[in-house]
Amino acid sequence: MGIVGEFIALIAFIAAAIFGTAGIVGLYRFPDPYARLQASSLCGTTAVFSIFIGCLALASSLAIAARLLVIIMFFLISSPTGGHIVAKFAWNSGIDPWRPERTERPRRRWWKRA
Amino acid sequence: MRTVNAWRLMRFGISFGALYAVWIVFTASVDAFSLFTGAIGSLAIAALTHDIFIAQHEASLRAFVPRPLVLVGFLAFLVYSMYLSSVQMLVALIRGRANPRVVHFRTRLKTDLARMVLANSITFTPGTITLDLNDDHLTVHWFLATTRHSRAAGDIVKGKFEDRLRRVWS
Amino acid sequence: MLDAMQWFLLACAIGALLRLLAGPSAADRLVALNVLSGIVLAFLALRGVRQERAIYLDVALVYDIFGFLGLLAIARFLKDKAMADGEED
Repeated sequence: MGIVGEFIALIAFIAAAIFGTAGIVGLYRFPDPYARLQASSLCGTTAVFSIFIGCLALASSLAIAARLLVIIMFFLISSPTGGHIVAKFAWNSGIDPWRPERTERPRRRWWKRA
Repeated sequence: MRTVNAWRLMRFGISFGALYAVWIVFTASVDAFSLFTGAIGSLAIAALTHDIFIAQHEASLRAFVPRPLVLVGFLAFLVYSMYLSSVQMLVALIRGRANPRVVHFRTRLKTDLARMVLANSITFTPGTITLDLNDDHLTVHWFLATTRHSRAAGDIVKGKFEDRLRRVWS
Repeated sequence: MLDAMQWFLLACAIGALLRLLAGPSAADRLVALNVLSGIVLAFLALRGVRQERAIYLDVALVYDIFGFLGLLAIARFLKDKAMADGEED
């Protein structure tokens, strides 16, 4: 592949590192399973997909590239399905989604405090 | 009766073709022995499972054979929207602000496969996860909700995907 | 580059494992397990490309299939258990 492949792989791996970190942070930041699932599943899927793209750019033989393509296709099917299974489990076991505190009422400004 | 048999034969053929293609990709060799073993195995598995692989009531070829070019376009759009929604999720993570709601709406897609793909695609759009898919009724957990009205929510969540999917399978 | 990504994935796996051990509810643990299976899949693919061996990628595909089936089985098992507990109460 040469230098172009290395460059594509570098960009893909940097994206994977950013989104992977975000996924792990999302696993700890929100207070209920649905929100954690949203953050970690979406960012994790993107990170793993980016890693696959990087691997595809660095693949040394046709056999490896073909297998990576099949894995990518299957991953695009299986990853949302896995997320859906977890979400359905949480929904069926009766966990209520987390509602944040409403912030719609006008915030009291310190300079308007009568 | 005649149509049923022909349809069964066609389903069998499609299952066999798909299995054999995967076999060839994974063995990555064209020896006579490898090809022969793969054919035997694919025949046996297709004979056992073609009824599950493609259900009988999917009674037309259009229901599961996609238009190739449109499918590639759809996949490209899917990947693009995946990156877009990840960036949105990143912003929501950093600011710590979210507005999760559960919304219900219906889809107009007819075939099982297209509905399944729609449910999977919804999981890719900005912060939405399909909780339940019951015939044509979807329950979706929406992380960055902007409205509660079910039809408006449905238009926002599924809008871009449904039109494209109707061109892929229909 | 590939080695650095492997170390990064190892760190991510430790983070997910901590959530798996600490998660207060069963759904939290399943979420962590879902993330963990994706991480392991990416790790196998990276290792296969690094060592230029296609066999790792075969393992990765089979792991993908069975990780997904395993998730389904665990969710089913926990649901049945929760329902049985509910009937006992």
